Amino acid sequence: MKAKIIASATVIICAPAIAEETIIMGNVESKCVINTDTTGVYGNPIAGKLSTSTADGGVEPVIRYDVALGGSYTARIVAPNSFSSSPTLTDTVFWEGSSSVKEVSDSLMADYDANAVTYEYTTEYDLHTAGTTWFSVSSLAEYGFGKAYPAGEYRAVVIAECIAN
Amino acid sequence: MRRVVVVIACLWSSVSTAHEMLPSHPQLRPSYVSGVLQTQMHLFNKRQDVEYYEIAVFDEDFRPVPFVTGYRVIRLQYLEQLKFDVYVLADDADRAEYICSRSKLRGNGSNGAMVASRICSRFGDIAR
Repeated sequence: MKAKIIASATVIICAPAIAEETIIMGNVESKCVINTDTTGVYGNPIAGKLSTSTADGGVEPVIRYDVALGGSYTARIVAPNSFSSSPTLTDTVFWEGSSSVKEVSDSLMADYDANAVTYEYTTEYDLHTAGTTWFSVSSLAEYGFGKAYPAGEYRAVVIAECIAN
Repeated sequence: MRRVVVVIACLWSSVSTAHEMLPSHPQLRPSYVSGVLQTQMHLFNKRQDVEYYEIAVFDEDFRPVPFVTGYRVIRLQYLEQLKFDVYVLADDADRAEYICSRSKLRGNGSNGAMVASRICSRFGDIAR
């Protein structure tokens, strides 16, 4: 009888000690996230000029690319070459725009600007290193030949693309 | 001459917003319909200024390739995520190279976003 009680007590004492393993799993896979850190604002230093340049009272858009695995994606940034909305314009608009690397999270990204491929309003960057890159975009829109823009709200769109290699 | 005062576009900075689509290299696999291949994508909207995303399939020169999905323009609220299936004809599978999601911006939004984001995944070779 005594032996039975001891055996039972042992089982009861031991029961809480039984544990199960819980596994936490995770995958690191190639991934690209496009973040809009700052959306631009056009300054209007003179009547016929809209510019994102700080000197002209504007704000350059800043786009952040987060890449989980290097060499998996190409960033393509297209500066504006038309207004997405504006008052009626009767003359042509001269557009100028480009993008450049503003900041990087890894020193290996230092060559992004030098190796960028630019055509028309588009710049392509080979995102060969994992991490974060900030790009700023400049945009200038001049109206006619010394003409003044009609009053109203003007919008233009920067296209930020991340294309898998 | 009266100075024109123009205020433009703007998400008043410092609000970080993001657009994410996975996987980066999806694989087309047979669907329940003969002659049609399918894959599943995952879209995550962390852009407060964007509510709609447009889906498209392209060849290597970014020419459109026919495809079917539930909705070509998907409504995705802020911080919402969605899994959706994309179907491509087996005959088109060889030229289908990219599947892209692009943010749709509102033309009259009070916070008129200036940045449109597009993420393109590339179909993996193994699947085809």
